[in-house]
Amino acid sequence: MAGYQVHPWHLVEPSPWPLVGGSAAFTLTVGLVMWFHYNSTVLLVLGLMLVVVTMVQWWRDVIREATFQGCHTSYVLAGLRRGMVLFIISEVFFFLAFFWAFFHSSLAPTVELGVTWPPVGIHPLNAFAVPLLNTAVLLSSGVTVTWAHHALMEGKRMEAIQALMFTVMLGLYFTALQAWEYYEAPFTIADGVYGSTFFVATGFHGLHVIIGSTFLIVCLGRQVVYHYTSSHHFGFEAAAWYWHFVDVVWLFLYVCIYWWGS
Amino acid sequence: MASRLLCRQIFSSVRRAVVPPAATGVRHMAVGGVPTDDEQATGLEKRELDAKKAGIADPFSMEINTTPPGTRDSPCMVPSIYERRLVGCVCEEDATYIQWMWLEKGDAQRCECGHWFQLQGVTPPGAAEAHH
Repeated sequence: MAGYQVHPWHLVEPSPWPLVGGSAAFTLTVGLVMWFHYNSTVLLVLGLMLVVVTMVQWWRDVIREATFQGCHTSYVLAGLRRGMVLFIISEVFFFLAFFWAFFHSSLAPTVELGVTWPPVGIHPLNAFAVPLLNTAVLLSSGVTVTWAHHALMEGKRMEAIQALMFTVMLGLYFTALQAWEYYEAPFTIADGVYGSTFFVATGFHGLHVIIGSTFLIVCLGRQVVYHYTSSHHFGFEAAAWYWHFVDVVWLFLYVCIYWWGS
Repeated sequence: MASRLLCRQIFSSVRRAVVPPAATGVRHMAVGGVPTDDEQATGLEKRELDAKKAGIADPFSMEINTTPPGTRDSPCMVPSIYERRLVGCVCEEDATYIQWMWLEKGDAQRCECGHWFQLQGVTPPGAAEAHH
C-alpha cells in the first residue's frame, strides 16, 4: 500500500528550478546594472539565457507531471485556475500604474509642454491608420482563439489547430506592425513625458503580446502532439485568458493613448 | 501574396507532421481527432475519473463525513487503508475549533465531547496486491 495517495493534491517532487530560476533572475538584474553603468553585456546575456532555460525546464516538468503522470486532479486544476486569475489581476495592476502615469501628465499638461496634450512639437501617430489595423488584428485573434477552444471542446482536431494557427499568425502580425510603427515613429522615448508614457505603456504591452504569442505557440505544439483532451486542456485555457487580457489592455491603450491622447 | 504562400507552406508542414485521425484507430480520435479523458487520462487523474464513473462520491474524502449516531455502541465508522487515521471532531455544530486526534486500529475511541469513533479497515480500490 506504499505510494497510495489518499488526497487529491499534487505535492511536487524536489526540483532544482526554483533555485536556478532565482539565481538566473539575480544574474539578470546584476547584468542589467552592468549594462547600464559599466558597458558590459556578458551577465545580461547569461542571465537572460538562464531565465529562458529555467522556464523551459520548469514548465516542461509541469507538462510531464500533468499530461504524462496524471497528477492534475480536479482539485489541482481548481487551484491552477485561481492562480492564473490572480496572476492576470496582478498584471492588470501593473498596467494600471502606467495608465495612471499617462493620465497624470496628460490631464493637466504643464507649462513646459505648452499647457496642451499632445505637447507642443509632438506629432502623434494617426490613430486611424496602423493602430486601428492593430485593433482589428487583436480583436480578430480573440475570435480565433475562442474558435480554437470550441473546436477543441468539440473534439475537432484539425479545426482547433487551424484556429490556433490563425491566432498565432495574427499575434505575430500585430508584433510586426507595431515594430514597424516604432521604427517609423517621428518621436522617441526621450521626447519628454509624451514619449515616456507612450513607449513604456505600449512597449510593455508589446512585450506581453510576445509572451502571449509564445504561450499560444506552445499550446499549438502541444495540440499537434495530442496532449490536450476535449475536457482537460487548462494550459490552453490559461493561454486564451492571457491573450484576452492582452487584447483588453490594447483596447484601453488605443482609446486612451492613441485616440484620446492625440 | 507572399503571406498566403507562407500560410500554405506552414499549414502543409503542419499537416504532414500530423497523423491522420484514422491511423490511430481509437474511437473518439477517429471521429474528430481530439482524445477524451477516458482515452488518455492517467495516474491520480484517472483514479478520480474512474471513481466518478463508478458513482463513488468523494473519493478523496474531502467532505465532512459522519455516520451517526456516534455513540459507544454505535460509533462513527472511519474508513482507513492504514492502521491509524487523523480524525477531526466538530464537537458541536457552531464549534470554533476542530478537535484532532489519531484514531488507532482496535476499539472505539472517544473524543472529549463524547463522540465515539472507530477505525474501519478498507482496501484501496484496485490495490488488492500489496505494493512495497
